[in-house]
This record gives sequence, structure tokens and C-alpha cells, in this order.
Amino acid sequence: MKHKIIIAGLVLAGLFSSCSEDYLDAPAQSTLDEASIFSSPELARDVVNGIKITFGDTNSYRGRFLPFYGLNTDTEWYNSGETTSNDKPDLANYSATSTNSNMNLAETASGGGGQYWTSMYRGIERANKCIAGLRTYGNPVAGSELGNLLGQALTLRAIFYADLIKSHGDVPARFEPITTQSLYLPRSNRDVIYKQIIKDLGEAATLVPWPNETTASSSVEEINKAFIKAFRARLAMAASGYQQYADGVRRSDDPELSVANMYTLALKEAREVIQSGKASLNPSFETFWRNVNKEVLTAGGESLWEIPFASGRGKMLISFAVVHDAIDQYQTAANGIGGSAGPLPTVFYDYDQADLRRDVTCVPYVYGKAVQVNGKPVAKQELGIMNKWYFGKYRFEWMNRIVSNKDDDGVNKVYMRYAELLLIAAEAANELEGPSAAAPYLKEVRKRAFAPADQAIKVDAYVNALTDKTAMFKAIVNENKYELTGEMERKQSLIRWNLLKTNLDEAKAKMFNLQQRTGEYTTVPVDVYYKYAADNETLITYGLNRGENLNPGSSYTLLVDDKGVSSWNSLKDDKINSIYKVGVNPDTHQYWPIWQVLVAASNGQLDNNWYK
Amino acid sequence: MNFKKLLNKRTNCYMAIVLLLCLLTSNKASAQDLTVEGVVKDASGLTLPGVNVVEKGAKNGVATDFDGKYKIKLSNSKAALEFSFIGFTTQVVAVDGKKTINIVLAEEANSLNEVVVVGYGTVKKSDLTGAVSTISGSTLSKIPVASVGEALTGRLAGVNVTSSEGSPDSEIKIRIRGGGSITQDASPLYIVDGFPVNSLSDISSSDIENMTVLKDASSTAIYGSRGANGVIIVTTKKGKDGKMQVNFNSFYGMKRMVNQIDVLSPEDFVNWQYEYALLGKGNTESYEQYFGNWQDRDLYNGVKANNWQKQIYGRTGDVKSYDLGVRGGSEKINYNFNYARYDDKAIMIGSDYVRNNLSMALNNKASDKIDLSFTVRYSDTEINGGGANVQGENAQDSRLRHVVGYSPIPMPGLTTDNTDEAVSSYLVNPFVAVADTDRLQKRKNFNMLGSFSWKLIDNLQFKSEFGLDNYAYLDYRFYGRSTFYARNNPLPENIGAPSLLVTDRKDVRFRNANTLNYDFKKLIGENHSLKVLVGEEMIDYTRNDMSSTIEGYPSFFDLDQSIKLTSQGSPRIVDNFYYPDDKLLSFFGRVNYDYKDRYLFTATYRADGSSKFLGNNKWGFFPAAAVAWKISEESFLKDVSWINSLKVRLSYGEAGNNNIPTGQTAQTYQASNSTWINGQGNYWAPTSVLANPDLKWETTVTQNLGLDFDLFKGRINGSFEVYKNLTKDLLMNFPVTGTGYSTQYRNMGETQNTGFEASVNISAIEKKDYGLNFSFNIGVNKNRINSLGSMSDFGVATNWASTAISTDYLVNVGSPIGLMYGYKSDGRYEVSDFDYASGKYTLKAGVADASTVVGAVQPGYMKLKDLNGDNLVNEKDQDVIGNANPDFTGGFVLNANAYGFDLSAAFNFSVGNDVYNANKIEFTTSSPTGQYRNLSSEMAQGKRWTNVDPNSGQLVTDPAALTALNENTTMWSPYMKNYVFSDWAVEDGSFLRLNTLTLGYTTPEALVSRLGVSKLRFYLTGTNVFLLTKYSGPDPEVSTRRATPLTPGVDYSAYPRSRQLVFGLNLNF
Repeated sequence: MKHKIIIAGLVLAGLFSSCSEDYLDAPAQSTLDEASIFSSPELARDVVNGIKITFGDTNSYRGRFLPFYGLNTDTEWYNSGETTSNDKPDLANYSATSTNSNMNLAETASGGGGQYWTSMYRGIERANKCIAGLRTYGNPVAGSELGNLLGQALTLRAIFYADLIKSHGDVPARFEPITTQSLYLPRSNRDVIYKQIIKDLGEAATLVPWPNETTASSSVEEINKAFIKAFRARLAMAASGYQQYADGVRRSDDPELSVANMYTLALKEAREVIQSGKASLNPSFETFWRNVNKEVLTAGGESLWEIPFASGRGKMLISFAVVHDAIDQYQTAANGIGGSAGPLPTVFYDYDQADLRRDVTCVPYVYGKAVQVNGKPVAKQELGIMNKWYFGKYRFEWMNRIVSNKDDDGVNKVYMRYAELLLIAAEAANELEGPSAAAPYLKEVRKRAFAPADQAIKVDAYVNALTDKTAMFKAIVNENKYELTGEMERKQSLIRWNLLKTNLDEAKAKMFNLQQRTGEYTTVPVDVYYKYAADNETLITYGLNRGENLNPGSSYTLLVDDKGVSSWNSLKDDKINSIYKVGVNPDTHQYWPIWQVLVAASNGQLDNNWYK
Repeated sequence: MNFKKLLNKRTNCYMAIVLLLCLLTSNKASAQDLTVEGVVKDASGLTLPGVNVVEKGAKNGVATDFDGKYKIKLSNSKAALEFSFIGFTTQVVAVDGKKTINIVLAEEANSLNEVVVVGYGTVKKSDLTGAVSTISGSTLSKIPVASVGEALTGRLAGVNVTSSEGSPDSEIKIRIRGGGSITQDASPLYIVDGFPVNSLSDISSSDIENMTVLKDASSTAIYGSRGANGVIIVTTKKGKDGKMQVNFNSFYGMKRMVNQIDVLSPEDFVNWQYEYALLGKGNTESYEQYFGNWQDRDLYNGVKANNWQKQIYGRTGDVKSYDLGVRGGSEKINYNFNYARYDDKAIMIGSDYVRNNLSMALNNKASDKIDLSFTVRYSDTEINGGGANVQGENAQDSRLRHVVGYSPIPMPGLTTDNTDEAVSSYLVNPFVAVADTDRLQKRKNFNMLGSFSWKLIDNLQFKSEFGLDNYAYLDYRFYGRSTFYARNNPLPENIGAPSLLVTDRKDVRFRNANTLNYDFKKLIGENHSLKVLVGEEMIDYTRNDMSSTIEGYPSFFDLDQSIKLTSQGSPRIVDNFYYPDDKLLSFFGRVNYDYKDRYLFTATYRADGSSKFLGNNKWGFFPAAAVAWKISEESFLKDVSWINSLKVRLSYGEAGNNNIPTGQTAQTYQASNSTWINGQGNYWAPTSVLANPDLKWETTVTQNLGLDFDLFKGRINGSFEVYKNLTKDLLMNFPVTGTGYSTQYRNMGETQNTGFEASVNISAIEKKDYGLNFSFNIGVNKNRINSLGSMSDFGVATNWASTAISTDYLVNVGSPIGLMYGYKSDGRYEVSDFDYASGKYTLKAGVADASTVVGAVQPGYMKLKDLNGDNLVNEKDQDVIGNANPDFTGGFVLNANAYGFDLSAAFNFSVGNDVYNANKIEFTTSSPTGQYRNLSSEMAQGKRWTNVDPNSGQLVTDPAALTALNENTTMWSPYMKNYVFSDWAVEDGSFLRLNTLTLGYTTPEALVSRLGVSKLRFYLTGTNVFLLTKYSGPDPEVSTRRATPLTPGVDYSAYPRSRQLVFGLNLNF
């Protein structure tokens, strides 16, 4: 009996005392190895999805980059720039400090929080791993799905870098997956990054199909060859343009990034897209923007690529749309959404009165207080005051959906459109080949901006008169304003033209002129009258256009405040001066500083020493 | 490990246990003629191991085994037996032909003979060489609280127990000597019957025989790898020889909320709303919309306020506890059975806690050489309610903020009981907030242990132990429509609809340990004693989490409906995640040597291999040694009558820590699902934590000097300890933000804890019918970060205010963990700080401008100190403004008994720690998004700055009038652009709490013995009886931001503590 027990006990003890070394190996279980992931197009596509997710991170493109980058310019400004109750204006008025409370946000251990920088670098790391994985384990040749995915990953990485450079100048360059050695990196010369991403886009363009060439590429949310080439052209212009370096504002001294090289590249890429016929302008500027708000995603038109926010994510309209003071027939999300930025009041008057883009771009009204009609809240357009305009390109009232979420509207960001490509072509052609080479592109942009009856004068005669290079350049700079206001592309363009401070100063002077009704604004009326169209919602105004100085009669009402005083004409000094902070030189603050949490976490590698 | 291997292992284990069960039930042993056997016990009925049993006048002798049993062959039947044991009076008994002699040895008044459970064995207390504290199960069971951990509060020197808040299942933080790690869990290792467990919360205190806390490395090093933060060893009750004993204990208690935050009265609330509208919106429209004309405000005078805190946290809770224990057995086999039920209805609506524990232990002495034992424990816990605060939740969903901030009076359009307001209003009805964050958790723990012990030859003992632990945790987390989660996480079409998150976690842990003990006592002479232990241990821990997300439920659904009607929602994510196995393989040894019982020496060595590390880093080696000198045994003290015992101990040792998640050495891809980007929601991405293939063990080096004393025949005893713990290669989850990952586990830096501990027990009066004793313990611990490796100092944000306050804690080399960082308050801006011209106030030259922090300053704004003298207050003017570490902590217990009555009062205290009163900041601030929220009475009218002329209802701008208006007010204006953390919100959190006060009565034995009852005691216990503190919040013992250990002592939306009165009885028969 005793022996039985002893033997049994020893056997048991022996069973479990396994001492082999591999006992201590414990590989991850709920995962797949890179070899499996990157040799399968189905799985690799989900890795590319993983890169795109970072656009939607709470404080990424969604919550911070898109709502704040690109302000202020001579056409777009932060609408509460005069406020002192928070430091949001600093992000727009060239005085942001590294501790700005909207950006200096710590990341949580699970990857939440942070800001666009942490999200972009997360996207970059995901792209780096994806690119390395596809090259190692897949066979990413042109025409194959894996090749297409490689092109997508290369392009997404270039997008992150392009946006990091335009907001910070020099940033750390990471083109390989992180190792312990490369964990902390200093700022790298942006020329190195520009060269790499321009090269990458060159490769990507050989891998990715044209719009509508495949099922996937029939959506503007999928990266296509037309976008890659257009984006490459944009980057070429930026890389060779003026910008702030540690030693001041200048063009790159890297010979590869010379104007000659880069403009040639930009023109070549632009022409290839134009000649391909795979993209084109929408015949109507207004229809194009209506379609953006309607979330029409058909590729091959004017929109080249859009950040593919799902319908529950993204803040383009919540940030920028025409304001809705109350929950009404167009949105049930919240009271007082939209309108955080808008066009300068002068932009409206800079347009030719016949320019069809003007009323799409500049909106002077809000949707006001709602009244109950058949038990539902209904609001109508109500005029505001002269110093607050809204970007009409973004309108809840043009959407097909009713947004019910106060934080997200889900409308895509149009990342680049064909009209911008035409302007790049015009600019590069003007520089390299002279105004006559640029003229057709400029004419194409202007042509759809005017009714056919106006085109002879406003398009043909106007462009034909631009016979020297400087005049053509100036016209392109202006056209950029008419075409792109509200798309936050202008800031980078002003920087590369070395016109940032010049044009901000000019805009400020113009606003003082408008305030005083002097100079070009002597005929701008002081009083504005309004009435409603038959739908009892649409505003009809009198007094906004130059020369509307007569009393329009009793069918109109004069816009007054609650004391009965004519109220439209309000443009205060502090608001005008908020275009850039008094005492700050925008040309030495072309970029945001690197936010303090990032500097602190960089192990001494990052600093803002050059940022005065 | 692949699944098949795992399955095999599981099968093996079950087989082993079945086999052991068979062995237990079938054996016989033969007795010889001239043999006497029996059990030796002490007066309290505890068996005594190690008692010398000698035949008088002959040479043969034996010692009792672990269970106090002995068996001796006699040379003649008329012999006499001598029983001797240190600390007990020697007894001689004539055999007179008896076969069985059971002896009760009388104790010499002295506590040094207690046997203390240490790692893989026991040791007499007098022979201890390390820093060890113990507490008995009978003491614990006298403290009627839910958790064993909580019962330790204030009882043991150097063991700091804090319950983070007042909820029934609140996390109990136990820190032994401060804990070493910076960002990792510094919890001690919990060992229950040899088996490592995650927490003590699933064990019933009635099931515990005793607990031992190992504090220095010489005692913890035998646990090597995981002993760095101390070890708590729990031994559960085993069977006992003799007549069956039945214990029944029960208590019933009631509890109420103790403190709440005072809020503005309705008329004051309305007044403030008016002022807010004027200040914030520039007009009164938003006021008139809900409150009517300002002129009619007297409407609100005397209106009765809804006390939301009372409605949510104010119910009378009750506690019911029953436990039944049955023990008994014969010499061959004994048993213990225990059942306990704890049923706690907490003070917060919807919050309750029920736990059932069932345990059974069988011991079988198969022969005189073989012992078998088998233990099964089962526990089943159900927790209802989301509590007040859940870690990792968005601060917007904290319940207390709604309870305090919600309008005290019903305002049509602003407040409503209709759940529709959840999506339409600024304010969330507290009832809606509670229902919308409801939660149900079920934990089940099934633990089986078996051991086999074989005396191979004299003095050589082999022991093999097996254990299998099954842990299942089911968590239903409901997110109603008002939650941040519902607004942000679901698919677009389900945004704003209720969601349910279900996590079903299954852990399986298997352990096998084999040890050999050899006692050299006969081989090396009279004066020497040498014992050697060698052993081997393996632990395999597997975990699998199945998480499901179901969203888009009908809007009126609550938690219960969501759980039972899952088909009414749409499933979005089903994630079955298998964690990498956590495996540990160890070899260890220990030598105990003493010379003349005066000079003691202990050395241990352990090698641990962990699957959490790679290659050569897998193995950690942890040596330790200790010496002790029993001075009282020396001739010069031997005859000093008032010294019973005096011992000096010195130890040095290393212990390790691998307490990080598994799978940190290789970067893996994880599949997830997101609703943010159009197209496919599935995606693959690397984890947000960057892998580190170079990870290795964290090591703590401990030096300890201790003095144990026992004076005046045991009337005064206790110990003093000084120690220094140095933890190097700290395992830190280090932020690498901005690189593409958020954190990475690393070995970096060094921390140290130095301190002093004292515990003293005084038996002031010890008489037959009455007695009085007193025990006191105190611990002083100084924490210091010696190095952060290659990193420089960094800051941490608690994020209680979302992003409004960034860094509010610092981690600085040369300082302790828990430094609070913020502005220094300078009162408020007065009218005299400004120049007034044409309606505008401009700050006078020389007055520091805090506009970037508090908003463009005006008279009445909060004023902050300009520390760097640049006349501007900005982020550069922040400084260390608080320290969450106490100067010292401790407790004292007073026990008195007289003629059947017993009285016990247990106090605990903490001195010198600061509390970050975030509630105070939140409820005195009306930010631009905080319209219609109520404030705490700290901002009552007459205290707060006001800009409104009470007669005209107009804003006052005239300097003289404004000064006059605020002549008697002291606070700044609540209207601020955002929350500001200043030293005004840092308060001294020192306290003294009468934690439990018990009055009991034991009925005279004569009265009850006729009923077959051996003991009957009734008692009344009050818990949290009183609290002495200067802290202005509800309770200073609080820590609600626990996502990292770097942010201790924040009081934000804590579950309020209750005061409890319990009536109970103990019945033995």
C-alpha cells in the first residue's frame, strides 16, 4: 500500500517537473506573422486600413489638424480671433507656444489622446511596417493587388509627411520600422524628406490604377494614379518654394529641389493627368460643392482624393460649415455648430461680382433660432455682422443626411481637386514656358466660374491680357484665392510664394479701408436690407454689393440690432488686428512649434530652438 | 504553447488530483505493541509541531510532526514520557499501559513560540531572521468587512492598506514598504496555500487560519522572481483532529453615507445662473429661457431643493454575512469544511455585492511516513452597479459630477426625467447617469490543491504539491445614451444608442512544486542546528479573453434588457484573444543554521526563468542571507528576569519582479475593428505598445536591520525595523509618444524606499476575569527616485478634467513619486489691481497677468503667483505644490475584556500626505461649457465674487461700486475659462480614523454548555466610527485616478464612504 502511494506520488511529481529550456517559450497566440499577412491581399488590405484609421483618431486630422491648420491667410481666418478667453486664436495668428492647450496633449498608454503628430507618426510607422512587409513577403508588382497596396501605403506615408512638414518645417524622418536605436530622432532636414516622398510617389504612381480602372478606384476615397501625380506636383512646388529655415526664409539650397527641377516635374505630372482625361472639372462650381456635402464619392471627376471619414467621424462641417444657431430642419446635433473660421470680409469684395464662385464661397448669414413648425424645429437664414462670414463650401443644408452627433459630421475632407492641379500647371508653365503656355489652364479654371455670356470678357480677354510672366503670376495668385478659399491650401501657397507677411499686411490694410469705406471700398454700402424668398427660408439681400446704396423699398427690412440701430457694418480694430498677432512676424512663425509633450518625450532630441 | 499541449497538461492535472483523492481514501497502517501515540496541543487547541517527546531515562525520543502528532516506541510499558518545547512548561506523564496520550502543554507566558509560515515551510517566531509580520485568522474574522485586504488596515507595521473609495468592491491597494516600481504594479505577491493569486478579494476571512507578511528580501527571496514588493502568505484552515467542532458566525449591519458636498441652494443657484448668463453670454437670454424674468426671481426663494447626492448615494445599505465552519477528524484523516456568504447592499442606488465561498480540506496520514492533503476552494462573486468611477473611462462619465452639478430644482426643458434629455441637454439627470453606466460583474474562482509528503528517511522529507486554479470573470458593461462612449464609439448608425460590452475572461493556472527538507540536527552535534531545503517549482498561466461589443439597442434599454436581449442590438466586434502563456520555472534552496540557538543564519538562493523575457534575460538569480543574534540567550542577559527575549536581525537580499503583461518582447500585429474610416472596418495594426526584446528582471536589493523584544514576561513585546530597499532595472511602461507608439516597457532607472517601522504590544492587565491590551504600529517610508535611466524628468496628467489641465504630477529624479504640480494661488484680482478708464479695466503695471491661465483678467478673477518674476503667469509659473506621500502611517488597537464583555477599538492614521481635491476645483468653476450646472457651497452668494448689482440686475463696472459690492466676499468669481489646478485645491490629508469599534459579550459557559454550545458571543461593531481631519472633501483616504501609480491621492468623483453598524454573533458547538 505504502509503496503504491510512493510510486504514484513520484510518478506525479515526475510528470510535471519538465525542465527543458523550450518550456519557457511563450509565443503570441492571437496574431499572425508578417509573412502570412503580407502575402495575402485580403489581410494586407486591412493593414492599409490600419494606416488610414489614424486620420480618424480623436485629436488627429479629425479633431485638430483639419480644424486648425491653414489659418490665417489673406482669405481665411479664425472667426473668434479677438477672443482672449482661450488660446485657440494663437494657433491661427502666428503666436502659438509649445504649450498651447489645444495641442499640447498627452497620449494615453492605450494610444488615445495625443494630437495629430502622434497620430501621423503612428500612421507613418504603420506604413513603414506595411511597406517593409510587402517588399519582404509579398510580390508587389504593378497590376497586382499587393502592388496597389504598396502604392497606397507609400502615398499615405507621403501625405503624413507632407502635412507634418507644412505645419512644422523640419521633423524627424522615419522611413523604416522603429528599432530601439531609432526610437529617438532629432528633426531631420525637410529636404531629405521631400526628396524621399517625391521619389516614393513616383514609385506609387506606377503601382496604383487610374480612377475607375478598377472597382476600388471608382471611389474618391481610394488613392488613384491621378491623385498621386497631382499630389506629387503639389509637393514639387512646395519643396522648391520659399519657406522658413533655421537661417531665414529662402528656397531650398539642395540642387535636386531647384525650381528648374521641381517645376519641370510638377508640370510633367500635371500634364500627364490632364492629358489622361481621367479627371476633370465639374461643369458647375456649386454642384461640385453640393456633391461634396452630399458625399458623392464617384471618382474620375474633380475631387482627386478625399480623407475617407466614415459618417460618424470627422469635423469638417462641425468646424467650418455655415453656422446653425439651433437644432433645426438641417441638423439635430447641437445648438451653435459650425463657423469656427470663415473668409475675410474683403474676400467677398475681391471677387468679380459676376464670379459664380463668390456666393458659394462667402456666406454672410447663419441659420438662426428655430421655431416649431408642425412640431419640428425650423430655422431660416439670418444675416449676421460684417466681420463674420462663413465658408459656404460646407453646408449642413446641402447634405443628404441629418447630422445628429454634435462631435462628428462625417463629411470627407477634399484633400486635393483638379482645379488646384490646373493652377499648378499654369504656374509651372508660366515659369518654365511663359504666360502663353499657362493661359489655357487658367482659362479652364475661370471658364466655369462665369456664365457663358460673361466668358468672352472675364475669361478670354482677361487671360489674353496677361502677356508677361509677372502679370500672369499675379493672376494665378489671385485665382488661387477665388478658387480655393476655405480649403486651407492658401497658407502653404503664400509661404512658397514668399508672400505670407506681405499679403497678410495687405489684407489688414484692406480691412481698415473697408472699415473706413476708403480706397477700393468707397462704394460698399453701410446698411443692409433683407427679405425672404417664397420658401420663407432663403434670404434675399440688398446692400452687400458695391453700389447698393439706395433704399430698396418697403418689401425689404433694414438689418438692425435689438436697439433698432443698423447693425451690419461692424468691423472692429481688434478683430482686424487678430489676423496675426501684433508684434509677431508671421515669416518667423511660419510653422507651429513642436508641442511640449513631444519635446518632453523626445529624450532631448527635439527642440524649438530655431522657433523665435 | 499550442492548444494540444495545454489540453494535455490540463488532463494530466485532473488525473493527478483524482489519483490523490483515491490515495486519500484507501489506506491502513499497523501499530506495534509498545507504541504510544498522541497529539500535542497548546491551551487554545492548536497542535504543536516540533515538541520533543522523550522516554524518561531511556535514549529514544521523537518530535511531533507538523500536525502535533507523535508516535514513540517504548522500551518498557511502565515508562514515563517527557514532553518539552521551548516556551512551554515541560510535562512528564506516566504511560501506564496507555496506547494514546494526548497532551495539552501549558504556555510559558511568551509569544515567541508561535510558528510562523514562511515561504515553503514554517519557522518558530523566535528563530526568524527576516522582517515578518503576522496576523491570525481569528483577529481577521472579528473585523466585519467584505475584503480580507481591507481588514488589514492599520494592523501591520509597514503594510499600508488604502481602499481607494467607498464602493463595496473598491480596489484595495496594499503596499509593503512603499513598493518599488514606478509605473508597474507595486502590489505584493499574494500566495494562498502556496498558490499565487491575483488578489485577496475572493477569499473569505472566515476561511483563513493565518496570514504572514514577508517584508525584507531575506524572507521574500525564496519567492525570488516575484517577491520584490513583499509577499503576503495566506494559509487557509485545515482539518483538526478530535471531536467535530462547528462554528457559526453571522452579522447584520446597516450603513449610511457619511459626508457629502454642499451645494448652492435653489435661489442661489438661480442667482448664479443669471450672473453666468451675463458674464458668459453677454445677455440674459439663456437665463430667461429657463428661469423667467430676473425680476421674478423671488419665485425661487424657499423652494425645496432636490438633494441629488442623497438620492443617489443616500439609501440605507445593509450587510448580511453568514459563515459556517465544521472541522474534526481522527488521527488518520481530518477535515475542514467552510461556507461563507457575504451580501452587501451598498449605499449607492443599483450597487450591491454578493459573495459565496465554499471550501473543503482533507488531510490524510497514510502512514507514519506519508501525508496527503487535498483542498478545494470555490468562490463566486457578483457585483452590480457601475460604481462612481471606473478607471479608463472618460472623465465626462464620472457619476459624481452629475450628482453635484445637476440643477437642484426641476426646470422644464432643462431637467427632465425623460431619458430623451440624455441626448438633448447640457445636464444629465443623475439617475440617468447611473443607469447609463450600469455594470454587472461575475467572478468565479475554483481552486484545487493536492500535496503528497513523504518522509524518505529520518529527517529527510520530500513534498510534492499540485494546484489548479480556474478563474472566470464575466463583465457586462452597459453604455446608455448619455455616455461619452455612446456618442463616440459605435458605428455611425448606432451613435447615441445604448451599447453593451461583454468580456468573458478565463484564466487557468497550474502549479507544481517539489521540495526536499533535510534536518542535520543529529549529525553535527548538540550545539549546531542545520536545516536545508531544496526545491523546484513550475507555474503555467494561460489566459483567454472573449470580448464582444453589441451596439444599437433600442433607446429605452437598460443593462438587464441588453444582457438578456442581445439580438435587439447589432453585434459589432467579437474578439477572442488568447494571451501568450505566462510560464515560470524555478529552482531554489534555503539553509537555516544556528549555533547554540543564539546565533542564527539563513541563506536562500533562487533561480527563476520567466517566459516574459527572451534568451539570457529569461533567468534571474536572487540570493539572500540573514543573521540574527538572540542576545537574551547570552549568559550576561540570561538571568535578567525582565527580559524574556531580545534579538537583533540583519538581512540582505535580492528579489525580482516580472510584473508586466505577457508578450512584450515581440511586436505583433493585432486585428481590430474601427468605425472611423469608410470601407472595411477591420484592420491590422501593431499594438500601441512598442515591443522590447531586451527586457529583463527588475531587481530589488533590500537591507534590513531589526530588533525583536519581549519584556516583562511577554507583557511588552514588539519589534523595530529599519530598512533600505533599492529597486533597479525598473520595469516601466515608458511613454515614447510621438514616435508612432505610445509606450514601451523598459528596464530603466532606480528607486529607493528607506524607512522605519515599529510595532509594540502591551498587555497592561492580564487577569482571569479582565484584561487590557494595547498594540501600536507605525511606519515611516521615504520614497525617492534615484534615476530614470537615460530619461529626464517627466510630467504626468491625470486627465480628470479631460484636456483642461495637462501635467499635474511630476516624476523627478531625487524626489518621491506623487508630487503634485500646479500654480500657487494668490487669492483674486481686486479692483485696486486695475486702472479703470472708459469702462475698461487694465491691469496696473507690476501686477502679474494671469490671462493665459484664467482668461483675460478682470476684477474678481482668480489670481495666481508669478514665480519667475516676468510679471506674467503662464505655464512656467507652475511648481511642486503637493506631495501625496504621508510622513508616517500606522494604527493602534485597544482590546479590553471583563467578565465576558470585550471591547476593541482599532484606529488607523496617516500624517502629512496631501490630497488633490479635484472635486473642489470642478464644483467651484463655471467654464464656458458649464452653463446650468450647480456649484458647491464654497461658492455661495456672499462668499463668491459678484459683478451683478442685486438691485438693478445690471453688471457693475464702476470701481467704487464693485469694490463695495464685494467688500465681504472672499472667493474669486466661479466664471473661468477653464479649470485651474492651484495649491488652493491641495489639502492636508492627515487623518485619524476610528476604523472599527466592537463591543462583545460572551455568555458564561455554564449557561450555554447545557445546550451543547461551547461558546456564544454577541457583538456590536461600528465601522468608520469617526474621522478626525482638516480635509474639506468627504474623505481624505481616497485615490481615484489609478490608471498609473504615478498619480496617487486625487479626489475626483469618489464613491462616498459609509458608516456602518453591525450586530453579530459567534457560535461554537
